[in-house]
Amino acid sequence: MGEVIVVTSGKGGVGKTTTTANLGTGLAQLGYKVSLVDADIGLRNLDVVLGLENRIVYDITDVTGGHCRMRQALIKDKRYDGLFLLPAAQTKDKSAVNPDQMKVLCEDLRQEFDFVIIDCPAGIEQGFRNAIAGADRAIVVTTPEVSAVRDADRIVGLLEAAELRDPKLIVNRVRYKMVKAGDMMSIDDIIDILAIDLLGVVPEDEMVVITTNRGEPVVSDDRCRSGAAYRNIVRRITGEQVPLLSLDEGGFMGKIRRMIGFK
Amino acid sequence: MDSKRTPNGPVSDEIEGDENTILIRRTLRSGQKFYYNGNVIIMGDVNPGAQVAATGNIIVMGQMRGVVHAGAEGDEAAMVMAFRLLPTQLRIANHITRPPDDEVPSSTVPEIARIKNGVVTIESYPTGLDRVFR
Ligand SMILES: Nc1ncnc2c1ncn2[C@@H]1O[C@H](COP(=O)(O)OP(=O)(O)O)[C@@H](O)[C@H]1O
Ligand SMILES: [Mg+2]
Repeated sequence: MGEVIVVTSGKGGVGKTTTTANLGTGLAQLGYKVSLVDADIGLRNLDVVLGLENRIVYDITDVTGGHCRMRQALIKDKRYDGLFLLPAAQTKDKSAVNPDQMKVLCEDLRQEFDFVIIDCPAGIEQGFRNAIAGADRAIVVTTPEVSAVRDADRIVGLLEAAELRDPKLIVNRVRYKMVKAGDMMSIDDIIDILAIDLLGVVPEDEMVVITTNRGEPVVSDDRCRSGAAYRNIVRRITGEQVPLLSLDEGGFMGKIRRMIGFK
Repeated sequence: MDSKRTPNGPVSDEIEGDENTILIRRTLRSGQKFYYNGNVIIMGDVNPGAQVAATGNIIVMGQMRGVVHAGAEGDEAAMVMAFRLLPTQLRIANHITRPPDDEVPSSTVPEIARIKNGVVTIESYPTGLDRVFR
């Protein structure tokens, strides 16, 4: 039976969809069977990031509404046999799906897949509640900005209230030079407030944008640091203990005492 | 002073505590609010964006970074104490204060805020250890 993981953040544009696509692709590269669920109803874009937009026939609301079978709606990835996407609907009606339907959907998917990864919409309303309803675990993504960290903290509180304990943190778009110069929040500053376990740190990298536009997540690219960061996060999710990327500038994460695996 | 019975039976006199105190064993996160009629002790942090208010005193055994209001119904003798007192805004009774705009907030020792001579004053909280190791 597979594990259902929701990727959330509160604030929009911090990298939830990028993270979902990269973790899914990375896990599939290691041979796991993975299904990605785009729960961002009305603003679907996980299909675009994966380069699968032109294959969509059915979407998540067709499955929950009983208009098609799960198998018909799941889109197989171009490159990896074990990777599938359940696309979001483009409808404006965000209440097209409810939490009970999401629970059923997650139960169905976990029978067949090793990992089910849900891309959560921004915000704390219905779409968020749907996305977390069937999840076993949560990943919270933030950027090193005060407002993003504030929203992440709000999300951690709401996850706790929904009995989703011990969420793991990914800090995205870190610029080491700025951190070193004291112009950007450090990982220490962020952990100091959120007090949750760190799953990984992804640097700001133009390759993320370039690969996203090509519809091929950066995790498959061995030459760049952001790809390496995502590969390390993937290994941590599978339970391996992987040290944080050693960064040339070094030493900026001095106070972090331990790195944790995901399980 | 009345004698009081401890749970084990023996009589304890001399010392009397404040009634009506609540212990919160978790961190208050952004968007969370807590109000209590009495004193509040928090074993955890109060994060930026969180609010805690009490008619009595508030003690935070951690970092106090949110909005805090002690003596919320007008008690000018109420105080706020925290291991790290870095509030967004601190209120005691009807006095409202905030840190100065041109200062990077820092706090390295436990501190206590209370009204002295009509103004909110923040001082380091003398622990016994300070005296021993001075
Ligand atoms: N590490 C990174 N470096 C550079 N750009 C990034 C990085 N992570 C995300 N981005 C860019 O930021 C934008 C928002 O990311 P996205 O994953 O869509 O956020 P969300 O799903 O949280 O709204 C996208 O254009 C994406 O390419
Ligand atoms: Mg998104």
